[in-house]
Amino acid sequence: MAEALVIRNISRRFGGLRAVQDVSFAVNEGETVALIGPNGAGKTTSFNLITGYYRPDAGSVLAFGREIVGLRPHDICAHGLARTFQVARPFGKMTVLANVMTGAFLRDRNLDVARAQARAAIEFVGLTAKEHTPARDLTTIDQRRLELARALATKPRLLLLDEVMAGLNPSEIDQAVALIGKLSQRGLTIVIVEHVMRAIMAVARHIVVLDHGQKIAEGNPKDVVANPDVIRAYLGTGYVHPAGAGENAC
Amino acid sequence: MRGLVSRGGFWVAVLAVAALALPLFVSSSFTFDICIRVLLFAFVGVAWNLMGGYAKQLSLGHAAYFGLGAYTSTILLIRFGVSPWIGMLAGGVVAMLASLPIGALCFRLRGPYFAIATIATAQVLMLLFLKFRDFAWGAEGTTMPNLGDAPLMMQFEGKAPYYYVVLALLAIGLIITYRIERSWMGYYLVAVGEDEDAAEAIGVDALRIKRNIYLISAFLTALAGTFYVQYIYFIDPNTAFSFNVSVEAALVSIVGGIGTLWGPVVGTVLLEATSALLQSWLGGGHGGVQLTVYSLILIAVILCRPAGLIGLATDIYARVVRSGPPPAKEVPLDG
Repeated sequence: MAEALVIRNISRRFGGLRAVQDVSFAVNEGETVALIGPNGAGKTTSFNLITGYYRPDAGSVLAFGREIVGLRPHDICAHGLARTFQVARPFGKMTVLANVMTGAFLRDRNLDVARAQARAAIEFVGLTAKEHTPARDLTTIDQRRLELARALATKPRLLLLDEVMAGLNPSEIDQAVALIGKLSQRGLTIVIVEHVMRAIMAVARHIVVLDHGQKIAEGNPKDVVANPDVIRAYLGTGYVHPAGAGENAC
Repeated sequence: MRGLVSRGGFWVAVLAVAALALPLFVSSSFTFDICIRVLLFAFVGVAWNLMGGYAKQLSLGHAAYFGLGAYTSTILLIRFGVSPWIGMLAGGVVAMLASLPIGALCFRLRGPYFAIATIATAQVLMLLFLKFRDFAWGAEGTTMPNLGDAPLMMQFEGKAPYYYVVLALLAIGLIITYRIERSWMGYYLVAVGEDEDAAEAIGVDALRIKRNIYLISAFLTALAGTFYVQYIYFIDPNTAFSFNVSVEAALVSIVGGIGTLWGPVVGTVLLEATSALLQSWLGGGHGGVQLTVYSLILIAVILCRPAGLIGLATDIYARVVRSGPPPAKEVPLDG
């Protein structure tokens, strides 16, 4: 299977802090990979390095066979990588529809085409009823849905989701898991940063574990949650799988 | 929705007819002068609003382009005998060229730092023209050669022709704004104004869109500069690069309604009318009183209506006339 994303030895430091150190991993096309680890492990920094918001001090990022280190974020998006932010960043004074249309303009500048594509993405995330609501009036959760719709409107091949489930209740998590499953079925490659272990076990086929900016483990979900290093660094010694009712070990 | 659009079109038509017919009813040259200034600054406001309003790049240096437009056409006229109509377009092109390096420098900065950097560019240009003695008359400036009634050289008997020229400029500015607002570019501008990083994440080239709108904004502002010096028959660096021009351009949009089609027009009419009335009531004797009152009104508007007066107008319209909910937000705030 072809590789959608290959990350080789990327590093980034902020002053004395080594936020990401020599991290490598690969994501196959159509696969869903989870990036987990305690707060400050370098997950969001890795996202920012991949999507062009920070430039790595060293290392390379290949996306669909092309080196994307040094490209600006909008180029990377045009290359087929779309992301969401940990704290949703909607265009507050625009309506839901206008927000998502702005994403759709990347592939088609025609207003009617963009509107139709935006409506499809809005329907997919279940926001149709709030199409004309200004984004700033949405609840936090709806803002995340909006951000997902906006990212989808750019027609990505690879989707990077930064903690889309934080703060959701169990039934909302189920909905989100179902949504991600549907996206994956459509053939989308997904990289997800998440703390909700139940969701990760449900969606991810491969897990990469970061701690203090370094990769400490990688593998299929079952092996990773049994790995003693991962339990010590992140899950906590109380974590039991798969009975794991422990929603969130963090 | 269609009903709303045609209703909007109806009011625009009424306004256009009123504006075209106005010179038939105005005879005093003082009133004419006020009307011309209102239209001119509404036009400068419209040009500023494209960048400052939609993309929220708060420039306080648009005098740079106003001055470049004014000097380009004047130099072409006096040194080479070129008609200001051509000089006007040339000035626009010069302003566009100047906006590229200025933008490259200033767009690295965000928010208030951007505004401060743009102030500096206008001031530097003013100083340059103060020193260019043999090339551009230095600090004394120069008067335009009086050619009598020469429409081809943008000189007219009486004020009505000037009124129509500036009315046409304003119409062009509004049409350009309208077209941009209702295209992908309008959405991109608002997106960049709201959150540049988030816009980049969905494929918006923020630097490029800012550069492009700056080009358009600079071009239009330069046209106003040419018109202004042709109208007052005089140019010097303090007039052409006046900080007041920069402030006025921003102020009329902010007071009227930033990032809206009609905001700068509403803002200019109110501010200029207030200023003229205050001047005639309070202007004699106690210097500064009218400025104090003017400032108090400004403060009140900004405190009570930070979104601008145009919002107030649509709210009242919705409540009194239609007694329903406020009308749908203008594109590109909605699909």
